[in-house]
Amino acid sequence: MLRYLNVLAIAGLIGSAVYAYSIKYETMLFAEQIVKARQDIASEHDKIEMLRAEWAYLTRPERIQALADQHLDLQQLSLDQIVKVTDLPDRAPKVDGIGRELESLGLAVPTNTPHADRSAVNGAATPASAQ
Amino acid sequence: MTQASSQFELSAGQPPEDGSQPNDDRGDAPRPSGLAFLAARCWSLLAGFWRLRADKSSWRIRLVAAGFAALYLVIGLRLVYLGAKPEPPQALKSAVSDTVSEARPDVLDRNGEILATDVKVTSAFAEPRRIIDIDDAVDLLTGVLPDLDAQALHERLSSRKGFVWIKRNISPKEQDEIFRLGLPGVGFLPENRRVYPNGPIASHVLGFTDVDNKGIAGIEKYIDGQGLAALNDFGVHLTPEDLQPVALSLDLKVTHAVRDELAQGIEKFKAKSGAAAIMDVNTGEVIALASLPDFDPNSPVDAREPDRINRLTVGVYEMGSTFKALSLAMALDSGKVTLNSRVDARDSLRYGRFTIHDFHAQHRMLTVPEVFTYSSNIGAARMALMVGVDGHKAFLSKMGQLDRMRTELPESAAPLVPKRWSELNTMTIAFGQGLNVAPLQAMMAVAALVNGGMMIRPTFLKRSAEDAMKDATSVVKPETSESLRYLMRLNAEVGSAKAVDIKGYFVGGKTGTADKIVHGHYAQDRVFTTFMAIMPADKPQYLFLTLMDEPQALPETHGYRTAAWNSGEVTGKIIRRVGPLLGLPPQPDPTEPFPLLAKLGYTAANTPATGSTEH
Repeated sequence: MLRYLNVLAIAGLIGSAVYAYSIKYETMLFAEQIVKARQDIASEHDKIEMLRAEWAYLTRPERIQALADQHLDLQQLSLDQIVKVTDLPDRAPKVDGIGRELESLGLAVPTNTPHADRSAVNGAATPASAQ
Repeated sequence: MTQASSQFELSAGQPPEDGSQPNDDRGDAPRPSGLAFLAARCWSLLAGFWRLRADKSSWRIRLVAAGFAALYLVIGLRLVYLGAKPEPPQALKSAVSDTVSEARPDVLDRNGEILATDVKVTSAFAEPRRIIDIDDAVDLLTGVLPDLDAQALHERLSSRKGFVWIKRNISPKEQDEIFRLGLPGVGFLPENRRVYPNGPIASHVLGFTDVDNKGIAGIEKYIDGQGLAALNDFGVHLTPEDLQPVALSLDLKVTHAVRDELAQGIEKFKAKSGAAAIMDVNTGEVIALASLPDFDPNSPVDAREPDRINRLTVGVYEMGSTFKALSLAMALDSGKVTLNSRVDARDSLRYGRFTIHDFHAQHRMLTVPEVFTYSSNIGAARMALMVGVDGHKAFLSKMGQLDRMRTELPESAAPLVPKRWSELNTMTIAFGQGLNVAPLQAMMAVAALVNGGMMIRPTFLKRSAEDAMKDATSVVKPETSESLRYLMRLNAEVGSAKAVDIKGYFVGGKTGTADKIVHGHYAQDRVFTTFMAIMPADKPQYLFLTLMDEPQALPETHGYRTAAWNSGEVTGKIIRRVGPLLGLPPQPDPTEPFPLLAKLGYTAANTPATGSTEH
């Protein structure tokens, strides 16, 4: 009986030791992974910072102005070129271009109608202002 | 373990005649569970142990037991202590933390554009105590880094220090080469290095840092003063994520436009130097600041030269006729004159052996608006005399012109105030000669005169109008403020500030031309010209200032070197260019720009003036 219990106790001891060590090594692995991930994050942060600085350097107004002067045919904005939306004229009436094309073909015109009637039909098909 | 040791105690410590007790225990042994059996067994051992008390030699055993117990207690406590204590910093780490460059917060403009930021760089260091052959190390290192001074490096490596820098901010290629040398005691550390992507733009506001990333000028020094340096000294090491970026009041694009126009103006008029600034009159924020010549904060080697100063805060100048705005505001606010009053300008004003002349002499009685538009020295002097020396002093003191103005920038200069302030001083100061102030200080006063009378301290940090109003004080009446706005607008319509009469922006302005003092005398051919403009004049938002040192007369300026021709022109160009950038669309002129003046019965203010062209 005692021997049986001893064997059981030793097996338990070894089992718990194995379990404890496996937990320990797993923890170490995870800890290393966390450290590595933190380092990666930090290096990504550094890279982002670097790229932001580079972007700011490349888009500095002095450089953009020099490049624009060299490569673009732009003039300086004059104040009378700035117009408010409300100051714009109303939109012109819509022109039905295709409709006019079709009409000019004369397909819709009844063959036997008198001349006066034909112009009336035309007037209805396209807005007066569009002509 | 426990079982084994107790077995040992049992066999060693227990006398043979007490053998009956374990036998009893063995009789009790068959128990349902192993755990209970173990507990019972332990109990029997302990009981056996305590039973030793009866023994004559028990005190010895107890002494040994107590000794062991104490020893294990000490070991246990020590273990707990070591487990609870954080990892002690390594010796090298602590040596490094004093020298390595700390992270600094980013500096942004008002729209979030980067003005200053940190980038990570690598620096090479050495631990001299671990270097075996110093001569060999110096040879190898100078072979890789040819710009290193071999002598100085040898001295550094021979020192008894635990840590010395070999070279800060090395390139990846250099790092690789040093690494390949395989020298013991040589290593690399990541460091922060301050970069200013926009170069000289806003350099006077930003300031710069030293090689250890400590702010030593401008806003950088201000940031250190706000507790960053103290934190670093206490060993709190902040990561860039911990640091809140600092938002300045400056607008990067506007600042560039101002600097560009100013540079063109200085070149055109062959001026020695110049400066320009834009201030929000309702919040006191400085939107743009340029002072030429300037420096590149990335390599601030020439920043300490005397001609690179920030002319707006460190330079003090006689502001010339722009100061008449203050004199007229003082006279109007005191009630001594109204806009309808007339001032005698028929003759030059004599005081002792001094005579005050007018540059655009009219030789007649001038109305108050005419004193402003003709920029009459005599008129301004007479109006200041009406208020008196004490009143003049009190007013200028209230307007912050007599003591040093403090902003976030550590660089500042106190105004040069005459020690004995006589009536003559009051007369000359009334038209801007004899009192040297920092131009930003004068801007602060003019901003207060036109924004409704609220004195707001200028700032270089972003600030809302509500925050600005919290510690603002009322210095002149709203009517006086509106009178000043009207006078400046009138001056742009018919007076000397026509250069800024830009259709759509309703600008008002005032010129100022001060003769420079050369060898103790005012020199006629060397001038310091200033120009102030407000926009829009009916409800001012921005105050513009341009100043130029010794601009030259050009053929196209008809031989004039006065402010209207140079500083005025530059201001006009600046307004045309930055107006859209500041988000102000050109608008038709307001129908009733000055309602308070109309209520006071001065209806002429609300009709656009047309007058003679040459003032």
